[in-house]
Amino acid sequence: MSLLRLENVTKQFGGLVAVNNVSFEIKEGEFLGIVGTNGSGKTTLFNVINGVFFPEQGRVFFNDMDITRTPSYKRAPLGIGRTFQIPRPFASATVRENIAVGAMFGTMGKQLNVDQSLEVADHVIERMGLGKHRLKSAGLLTPVEKKLMEIGRALAMRPRLLLMDEAMAGMHPNDIDDMVEMIISIGKEENIAIVAMVEHIMRAVVGMAEKLIVLDQGEKIVDAPTDEALADSRVVDAYLGKSGETKDA
Amino acid sequence: MNSKLKKYYPLLPVCVAYLILFLVGRNVTGIWQLVSTLLFYCALGQAFNIFLGMTGYVDFGYVAFLGVGTYGMATAVTGLAGYEGLGVGVIVIGFALAVIMATLLSMAVGAVALRLRGAYFAIATIGVNEGFRYLIEGANLWNGSSGMIFTAELNQILGRDLAGRVMTFWADILVLIIGVAAAVVTLLYMNSKIGYALTALREDEDAAKVMGIHVTKFKIIAFITSASFAGMVGAASWALKTPYVFPPEVFEIHYTIEAIIIVMLGGAGTLMGPLVGALIYGVSKYYLSIFLPGFQLFIFALVIIVIIVLFPEGVVGVLKGKTRNNRLKQLIL
Repeated sequence: MSLLRLENVTKQFGGLVAVNNVSFEIKEGEFLGIVGTNGSGKTTLFNVINGVFFPEQGRVFFNDMDITRTPSYKRAPLGIGRTFQIPRPFASATVRENIAVGAMFGTMGKQLNVDQSLEVADHVIERMGLGKHRLKSAGLLTPVEKKLMEIGRALAMRPRLLLMDEAMAGMHPNDIDDMVEMIISIGKEENIAIVAMVEHIMRAVVGMAEKLIVLDQGEKIVDAPTDEALADSRVVDAYLGKSGETKDA
Repeated sequence: MNSKLKKYYPLLPVCVAYLILFLVGRNVTGIWQLVSTLLFYCALGQAFNIFLGMTGYVDFGYVAFLGVGTYGMATAVTGLAGYEGLGVGVIVIGFALAVIMATLLSMAVGAVALRLRGAYFAIATIGVNEGFRYLIEGANLWNGSSGMIFTAELNQILGRDLAGRVMTFWADILVLIIGVAAAVVTLLYMNSKIGYALTALREDEDAAKVMGIHVTKFKIIAFITSASFAGMVGAASWALKTPYVFPPEVFEIHYTIEAIIIVMLGGAGTLMGPLVGALIYGVSKYYLSIFLPGFQLFIFALVIIVIIVLFPEGVVGVLKGKTRNNRLKQLIL
């Protein structure tokens, strides 16, 4: 059974078709990479899955439930977590409080009270290696720490699906490797499907993804297991321009 | 158990401050007038903080809730004047009516305006206050622009002696109690999911939604709570203290501005902030009007600019930062 399924989703902004007739699905616990150049519609696609925007056409299913027009605050308790391209911490709150918010309003939200949520936060903080920043205001963290905290905040929701928007952008390659490994191991342990979206074909992310979806100008051009996708000539074209094009120009 | 109790430690300085205020007022001759003004500012700030401080939304029409609260008490007293057996019960009914009316108004305003973001919300609320005032005057509600004077009715129900003591003393004590109650509710909110949700939406509303927070719901909770306390402040400080009500006086926008100054000065979103802000503002306004009459507003304009530029987190916000690593931290919130 698919965890998330998109059927012919189209999202337009005025005359601009940001996502054009995209369909795909992701299974429980799968690690999917969405790759595409700047402006290819990745973030819009995330926003549709997440409920920030509703699509003009097509449907979105989560656990076989139609969530096409479900507001975003109702999707989090269903199990859809998300991190942003530029981290968006609740700056005045401490790292612990930030992460506790994830637990409080996530899939376990109804069962957890404030104290239990703070306990969950403490576990996540340990796991993310943010121990020494536990009681620091999130606004005072470095960009990398903010990123870690945001991932922690999303994990504290105990999501079934985690959407990571350019999660590794701007990080040192060594950190990326560590982080990707950690995220994947957490994902496997807790059976979280992960959709990581990257602008560039990053070794770390792409290398570990089971499946790749490549977007180009709002359209899905490739949807295949990683090895096949990387060898696909359309992917090379999308990134480097069509062969021969440069000569003609 | 101990850690549960610890959560309420920050109420200690609040209660101590009110106690000192009360004792000074009772024991220093000729100062009750000032103390009464300070108590009003404290309660006003404490009530407004539940909305402005916790959500980060600025409501320029806030005084309207004090206004309808005043009318609530006025309506109860005039309407029940015939029932002399009620005695103090009339005050209870008056408060209930004040809360109900303020709640209804806040639900009506909130349901529409709270769907707007930040500055748009602020702009939308500017009209509420004036609009409500003109509605009362134009539609001749509650005697329209001629207002309501209900000293006689209050005397009739409570008896002349008790009515006099209510106006000169008990009204202020009620304001004090409302101030403390608003602080208790603020702390309860801070320690609950409501507080976490409000902090999240204040810092980043879009991120809060994605985290599963129904932001409109929590904004409305804060708005209604804050408005009902404002209704009570109006009922106590305006209706009981001076038993008359005229629309231009109770819908005067400068009270809203004062509330904003108090909350910002003390520290928006902190528990102690409104109290500290109210004391600084009230005392300095009082002495400025004696020593530099006419210049108070000019000086406060400068003070506000300095605060916003130099320490936007307010006095208590700064204190909180400074005490983070010592034992005082559990008292300051």
